Amino acid sequence: MASTFVAAFEILSFGAIIVLVVLGLGIIASMMGIFNFAQGEFVLLGAYVTYLAYSRGLPIWAGMAAAPFIVGALGFVLEALIIRRFYAAPIVAMLGTYALGLIVRESVRGLIGGFYLTVPEPIGGSIDIGTMHISAWRFTIIIITLLVMGGCYLLLSRTSFGLRVRATLENPALARASGISTPLIYGATFAFGAALAGLAGALIVPVFSLFADLGIRFLIQGFVAVMVGGIGSFIGPVAGAGLIGTLSAALPWVMAPVVADVLVFVLAIVFIKFRPQGLIAGKGV
Amino acid sequence: MFADRLDLTRRRFLSGFAFTAGAIATGAGSWVVRPDWANAAEGAIKVGIATDLTGPIAYAGNADANVAKMVIKQINDGGGLLGRPIELYIEDTASNESVAVGNVRKLIQRDKVDMVLGGITSSMRNAIKDPIVARGKTLYIYPQLYEGKECTPHLFCTGPTPAQQCDEFIPWLIKNGGKKFALPSANYVWPHTLNVYARKVIESNGGEVVFEEYYPLDQVDFSATVNRIISNKVDVVFNTVIPPGVGPFFKQLYEAGFLKNGGRLACVYYDENTLNINQAAEIEGLASCLDYFKVLTKENPFDAKLQAAYEKDFPGNFLFAAGSAATGTYRGLKLWEAAVKEAGKIDRDGVSAALDHAKIAEGPGGPAEMVPGKRHCKMKMYTAVAKGGSYEIVGRSNGLVDPKEC
Repeated sequence: MASTFVAAFEILSFGAIIVLVVLGLGIIASMMGIFNFAQGEFVLLGAYVTYLAYSRGLPIWAGMAAAPFIVGALGFVLEALIIRRFYAAPIVAMLGTYALGLIVRESVRGLIGGFYLTVPEPIGGSIDIGTMHISAWRFTIIIITLLVMGGCYLLLSRTSFGLRVRATLENPALARASGISTPLIYGATFAFGAALAGLAGALIVPVFSLFADLGIRFLIQGFVAVMVGGIGSFIGPVAGAGLIGTLSAALPWVMAPVVADVLVFVLAIVFIKFRPQGLIAGKGV
Repeated sequence: MFADRLDLTRRRFLSGFAFTAGAIATGAGSWVVRPDWANAAEGAIKVGIATDLTGPIAYAGNADANVAKMVIKQINDGGGLLGRPIELYIEDTASNESVAVGNVRKLIQRDKVDMVLGGITSSMRNAIKDPIVARGKTLYIYPQLYEGKECTPHLFCTGPTPAQQCDEFIPWLIKNGGKKFALPSANYVWPHTLNVYARKVIESNGGEVVFEEYYPLDQVDFSATVNRIISNKVDVVFNTVIPPGVGPFFKQLYEAGFLKNGGRLACVYYDENTLNINQAAEIEGLASCLDYFKVLTKENPFDAKLQAAYEKDFPGNFLFAAGSAATGTYRGLKLWEAAVKEAGKIDRDGVSAALDHAKIAEGPGGPAEMVPGKRHCKMKMYTAVAKGGSYEIVGRSNGLVDPKEC
């Protein structure tokens, strides 16, 4: 019983981490039709900002709160300078974002000297329930993920900003005709996606420590999650991320980890073969 | 405004020109360190360093290159070797085997170096040993701790082997941890081969391996593993998981109460660089066994001198640490120096024959000597335990430990 509970918690917490990382990726992919290969590096930048705050002696939570704003602002600038020029050619856009990611990643690697650096969690230690110990910070991540998920959903489905984003996605020409500034909406959406990645990076850096390949580690899993979940809606990639995250944390409990690692991707390929539209098809929230 | 731009262009042109000229002269990613005297009739002896100056393990490669610069400078300041100065040729292996082979060929074919020292990972060694030793007919020294079984002629290893890292260490772990071992490991050659040896030593000392498991190199979630460790009441986690996985793994173990319940972490590649991956409390009591720890400077005057000399020349992030092959690099160069002095010439067969039984009286952690016919190095080994973010020596070998290879 105790170990089932611990297992469930651990699997849930890793699922939450993947959802957090995929949120921004899914929003950019679904709402803008761009596969942003630099998303992993936005995660890395969020982590780096948190580390900087910590190393300058500022409280860690201040770094975590600043990370989404800084990374979001950077995303806005990059969209205006670079990404915007590639909307007509999604394949080239993919390569462009990959190049961006490479530049960011190698710059950060230079800045941190290729080391693995620890960042303590603002809420450390473990919560003890009888003989079980569960990580307090992972528990916090689950809570924050739920809040952020709920917040994003409300933003996209209930606010006028969300309506404009969805209108721009569905029919850009009509949106423009109705007086919506689509370039601004694209910029804002990209910045929002980047900000979510920054937040994800800030929250997970105490768990995984800071290193240059932190973001790329989750990129492939993120893309598989988006494919499995289905592109076009907000909820699709989130569902996909929940599934992939849970699966990749759960399988090592029942089989050799090396096999589990491969099996997740095999299952995803088989799933996409039989349901190419993904878990949740169609556009909308 | 216009003038500003013009200036920028000119400056850009100049810096671009300087870079291109440098690149044409040496090839991108090449550095030559020439001695400030070069009046010898026979010309300089050329030493090649091929190491990972860029890429994920650049911190180690740069430390090794720094050690080489320091040692070669010391030799040159002392009058050189056989009355000749030494020129140092440094090439980047870039943590990428195909790039490395090309750059190593430059050392051999263009620069015609007399010896190559370098390579950090085993896959790198395997990629560059053929261009150096077989086709290049050049002496090769590999400085990093590794899984053993490298018995190529003219290839000398100066880092610790599994026997050196396990023979004294595992009995200590059984005494200071317990009998039940878990061997969580990254899925590549070093952990696989090291674990075969470690298991033998664990079992012959009355211990027991509860499980041995391999993980993908980029795995960062270890909840299933941690659960098995806790529920099997494992005493010692003999870890060969490497970064990036090792940080989250130790953290999850800590959060699950492994250390609180008296468990012992052990990891034989842990040195001063890896201490920063976790917070001090998460790895309190972690034991490692290496040929050198910085804390030895307190008891060993030679180590104090060496460490101070390195830190004076190279302050900053690239530490003089055993796990980065920095100590193996020092030892390799000094043993080679001794061999060249004995041979009195620089041809490969002569130096190889002398290096086969070369000795140095002083090195990081103590003296070192090659085991004749084995091309591996006897050295002193130390067991250290992490306490509050630094190491404390808790055990040391009686004399030099045999590498038991080849």
